Amino acid sequence: MKRQIQALAVILVLGAGKLPVEEVATRYLREARLLTKPISISLRESLGQASFAASLGGLRSLVASITYLRAYREWENINWAKVDSLFQITTRLQPTYFNYWDEASWHLAFNAASSYLYNQEINPMLRGKLYEEHVQRGIDILKEGLLFLPDEPRLWNSLAEIYERRVHDPKKAAECYLEVFRISHNDRYSRFAGYQLAQASDRESWVQGYQLLKTAYDKKQRPPSVIDQLKNLEERLNIPPMQRIPEARPQLEIQHDQVGPTR
Amino acid sequence: MNSNSFSPARIWTLAAATVTQLVRMKIMAFLIVFCIIVVAAGFAFPVMNPEQQLKLLKDVSFGALQIFSVVIAIVSTALLLPRDLEDRTLYTILSKPVPRYEYLLGKLMGVLLLIGAGLILMDIAFSGVLWLRQSLVLAQSVTALKQEGVATPEAIAQLNEFVGKQGLTWNIHLGVLAIFLKASVIAALSLMISCFASSTLFTVVISLLVTIIGHGQGLIREYFFTAGMNQIMKKMGSAMLAILTPDLGIFDVLDNVINGEIVSAFSAGVMIGTAAIYVTGYVLVSHLLFVEKEL
Repeated sequence: MKRQIQALAVILVLGAGKLPVEEVATRYLREARLLTKPISISLRESLGQASFAASLGGLRSLVASITYLRAYREWENINWAKVDSLFQITTRLQPTYFNYWDEASWHLAFNAASSYLYNQEINPMLRGKLYEEHVQRGIDILKEGLLFLPDEPRLWNSLAEIYERRVHDPKKAAECYLEVFRISHNDRYSRFAGYQLAQASDRESWVQGYQLLKTAYDKKQRPPSVIDQLKNLEERLNIPPMQRIPEARPQLEIQHDQVGPTR
Repeated sequence: MNSNSFSPARIWTLAAATVTQLVRMKIMAFLIVFCIIVVAAGFAFPVMNPEQQLKLLKDVSFGALQIFSVVIAIVSTALLLPRDLEDRTLYTILSKPVPRYEYLLGKLMGVLLLIGAGLILMDIAFSGVLWLRQSLVLAQSVTALKQEGVATPEAIAQLNEFVGKQGLTWNIHLGVLAIFLKASVIAALSLMISCFASSTLFTVVISLLVTIIGHGQGLIREYFFTAGMNQIMKKMGSAMLAILTPDLGIFDVLDNVINGEIVSAFSAGVMIGTAAIYVTGYVLVSHLLFVEKEL
């Protein structure tokens, strides 16, 4: 009996003593990006009891992969509402895996939006509304993903592509491309921001776009698109002839088949 | 040799005998099942993007490794004491100058050796398939880039980086170490439970329950530290659960290891240290419960 009381005492002392150790270890491993926050209890209903228990039991990544595969199947069935809800669960389970955010937004802003826009069975007024709603949903998904991964260039790039190709808001697209440039230091994205600003409607943006493209030009990055946009901006901004670039305006081929991001 | 002095050789002999005993129970048959799962996962879903294919292979393989280690840790430990009693091996061992704590340590070490060896074998099989899949995925992607006429050195370097991050790295093996540490804690816990349990079934069920609660212990502890004082009963309940169960969530670094996060030496040290605290504590309690137990 004496030994059993001793055993109980050890359990209680060890149990109480381990709490601060566990707290410190968990905090450290979370800061080292090795542990994610525990999943929310509210996910239980969406996941089902078995999947919730599995994700709680250290199989979170596996459950996320399964919900991702289910979303993939629903995409093949063109069930956009289900694609959205399954990707919501997937991203909640693994919020630090950028690919899930990226793919979820791509499905909604490009695939779902286009699917509704060209669906002849839906009223034309409603089609436009559904298109806009799904594009906005894609943007919201990426913005939420960026709260978890603020320095993920691929998410910023996807957001820029949506603003560029779906919303047609060159200023916002340029802001996102500049974020990609800030993180990746890849000059290509600074040029992309320049192209977008050149398409904006205010002088301030043109000036900024001109500076970005002129910097690229001075670094010997001179593809025809840079020359062409610089020529446009020189005219719009009345750049003195002496400061203009010497090249003639190139003949650009317009690629009509580029309607979405390349994957 | 004085029977009361600590003898690593005696513990090793007991551990080796335990491994033999467990191998005879055909516990390692799981290895064949694992290999089938890994190969199937490795070559399934070829339509997905390269990163996703490799991630899925790692998810499935790590999932199987976890299930293997947890099941073996609970079941084999729960079986050991009752089986030794049933076979009367326990009486033969304890009639010799073997202290009871050495018997317990030998048994636990045997289980850990078996889990460790199983995990190493499965890690080798998994690494081989992952490496093969990684090479295939990379070759296919480069060919696709060439066919599209966009195989610039920049694009190929980027592809290498993406695939490399999801492919075979040393970090993967640290993920397997985390699985082993978790299994060690669960095995020590099951050993402690089996020292006062009335049946094998009781040990298995209670160990499984504590394992499940242990994975959600982070949530319980968070509630204990943040709940208002007006919820005293709930707070006391959460405190008791947090005290009685280990926080197994600490070893769940796999999700992020799969995503390519690096496990530093210090992070590995934190996990090893935490596991050592649990194992030492549970072995100490097991000894206190077992030392005067009437057999």
